Amino acid sequence: MRSLKSLKENTWCIGCGNFGIFAAFRKCIQSLVDEGYSLADIVITSGIGCHGKIFDYLDISGVYGLHGRALATAQGIKIANPKLHVISFGGDGDSMGEGLEHTLFAAKRNMDITLILHNNGNYGLTTGQASPLSNIGFKGISTPNGNVERPFNAVNLLIEAGASFVARAYSANIDHLSHILHKAIIHRGFSFVEVLQPCVSYNNTYELFNNNCMILDTLPTDKAHARSLASDPDVFYLGVFHEQQLPVYHESIAIQSTSMTLAQRIQFIHNNK
Amino acid sequence: MSHRVFTVLVGGKAGEGIKKAAQVIGKIAVANNYNVFQTDDYQSLIKGGHNFSLVSLGKDPIYCTYKKANIVISFDKRSVSQHKQDIAPNGLHFCDDTDSHGTECVGLPLLRLMKEHYGNQGNMSLASVAIFCAVLGIPLKIMKDTIKKEFRRYVPENMAFAEAVYSTVKEKGISYLLEFELTNSCSSELYTGNQMIALGAWVAGMDCYFSYPMTPASSILHYLALKQSDLGVTTVHAESELAAANMAIGACFAGKRAAVGSSGGGIALMQEAFSLAGMVEAPLLFILSSRPGPATGVSTYTAQEDLYFALNQGHGEFPRIVASPDCLERAFSLTAELMQLAWASQSPAILLTEKHLSESMANVKIPDLSLQEYTFQEQEDREYWRYRINQSGVSALKFPGSDNCSEDDVIKWNSNEHLESGVRTDDPECIINMKEKRMRKSDTIYKLSKANKRVEIYGSGNILVFAYGSTALELREALKYYNFTLIVPIYLDPFPKEELALYRECEAIVVEHSSKPNFARFLKEQLELKVKANILRYDGRHFSPEELITAIKEAEDA
Repeated sequence: MRSLKSLKENTWCIGCGNFGIFAAFRKCIQSLVDEGYSLADIVITSGIGCHGKIFDYLDISGVYGLHGRALATAQGIKIANPKLHVISFGGDGDSMGEGLEHTLFAAKRNMDITLILHNNGNYGLTTGQASPLSNIGFKGISTPNGNVERPFNAVNLLIEAGASFVARAYSANIDHLSHILHKAIIHRGFSFVEVLQPCVSYNNTYELFNNNCMILDTLPTDKAHARSLASDPDVFYLGVFHEQQLPVYHESIAIQSTSMTLAQRIQFIHNNK
Repeated sequence: MSHRVFTVLVGGKAGEGIKKAAQVIGKIAVANNYNVFQTDDYQSLIKGGHNFSLVSLGKDPIYCTYKKANIVISFDKRSVSQHKQDIAPNGLHFCDDTDSHGTECVGLPLLRLMKEHYGNQGNMSLASVAIFCAVLGIPLKIMKDTIKKEFRRYVPENMAFAEAVYSTVKEKGISYLLEFELTNSCSSELYTGNQMIALGAWVAGMDCYFSYPMTPASSILHYLALKQSDLGVTTVHAESELAAANMAIGACFAGKRAAVGSSGGGIALMQEAFSLAGMVEAPLLFILSSRPGPATGVSTYTAQEDLYFALNQGHGEFPRIVASPDCLERAFSLTAELMQLAWASQSPAILLTEKHLSESMANVKIPDLSLQEYTFQEQEDREYWRYRINQSGVSALKFPGSDNCSEDDVIKWNSNEHLESGVRTDDPECIINMKEKRMRKSDTIYKLSKANKRVEIYGSGNILVFAYGSTALELREALKYYNFTLIVPIYLDPFPKEELALYRECEAIVVEHSSKPNFARFLKEQLELKVKANILRYDGRHFSPEELITAIKEAEDA
């Protein structure tokens, strides 16, 4: 298999959590290719921010979209060609702020694609503003007196929106993250993976996550159990919180496009008024 | 003046089926070989208020409805008083006999007949179909067959009620002798402008339509949603216009022909995606059907305020195509052309139209089309790069998926400024090269568009009148009575400078539906036109031929 790394110079900060996501994703794609997936059928989209640079670093086809809109673009790709495996990368500003509607609706539709949320708890590339997932009290350059808004809980929000696969992983645990990404991509339906990602420049959470993460051995018993685990104030549980088989969007709509020529189409209009 | 045209006005409350009745009147007229134009004047509400529909029919093609009606049918008191001024000389005004007291209306026992035939809830609008048929002497059988086909619920009750109204009118001895004979020449069908747009996009290969409802573009979504299985068009009502446009760009990336549609407000929300289409070179068709603005504006009426909005759509610099259909047939052929041109130049295109075209109905003969083919081959022996720099500015397209490309093809569409490979760049020289590659497509678009009808001229009078879009329809109806030369640019960007060169620095009148003379300003910029007068209308309503002729004569004398 060809290398999945492009020649583009990497400009993430030294120690950035994105390196872990980058490594785990390549490992996951490698395993999918080993299982018989074609690289030609794998497509990525990304939003704008530090996370989005992964688009340039990966030598994989896709669309480097608009801030917040990459998941809408991903859905359009899937609708147009359901044979493609579409994976969208989003930052916490992209997927939980500017583009939250697309995140919720992709889950609501059970669009058969994957969203990888790079949750670094702030807007890194624009130098450290509070994000929709920043904690109360977060002091960024747009909230110098401390963030007063309560953060979303991404896992719980997505369970509530109807995502049929919801998981969380940590960028520094590459093997576990890669394993979760693999499960997410092969899941039939909308899969969501929140990746806890330290930002060494503006929100360095390595110590917090290294000391307080715990991997779930089994699936929570039900959604209520999943929600209580996902919102535990002391422990960051990692693993699959919710998994369910539901009808997928492209099969529910199932419109076959036509190969009629122009002349045939005009004739069709004459015949079918 | 309307000696060759017969007009019917049906008025009443929203929810009474007035629009539908007017369409059925139109269908009956077309089936009897009349030419027809039908418009609806309605408000943004579901029940109540006041709506009216106009149907004008005649021997020759009709381009716009007349406002003075030969028969007016009013279903409530409000309509009776509002439309008494809209009756043409020798015209007749019909209403229920409980509303006719103290008026010059012909009172008919409509409510009583409805109760007799339906019990309580009946379809009053059918009375207008029956009155129309009885007055024009259209055979009872034709009326009943059409009603049976068009109204699927309560069929026996409908037939009995309509027949009773028909007989009542006949018994009163009311009939109207048309001063024109019927021909067998118009082998055509009734379509709305939006249906023509939807079908035009489809004949050019549209696979997907993404939209969020906004009048007057919504009926494209509704029509395609209804027909999607037959036509093979995946029709998606997305969560927002932002979703629709960004999904559509994803569909283009996957190799499918896609379109999006909305009115000004929705296109404003799609504006960033329009710019994205310019950057990633997505061949996406945008349909912009205008209504009066700004903001929510006047939802259900017509306007041309969005000319510069369309021409300047999206931030940043990139080539685009903007064109506006001047009639329903052109809505079909131009939408198809724009889809083709968008793909030939890998650029976003805007079909700019108005409520007056989108929601009006007329008999249309589907034009035969031939669309120019295009191919862009990539040299097989080198790596595929999405944005290979070349003279035309149009790089080869490949699509993802093992059915379309090899494992070694990396197809990268990038919203950041990019290298030929599609990877982001900040390098000054690379920025210049890629920007110039994109901008070279302007010339390519200009040349490709020359194969299409870019300007239409109607009439032959000494006075020059410029208009675009559905304003041309209104002017063509006026041309039947007063000769002038009507010049209609179909393509606005690229501007058809060769075809219009002979009008450079000419003196002309410009007609448009906006409070500022935007189109006149545009023509001054492009042609140094000497604008003798601006005829502006911005009340959301269309011009009748009478109103236009008066305005043109005043402008001439000024």
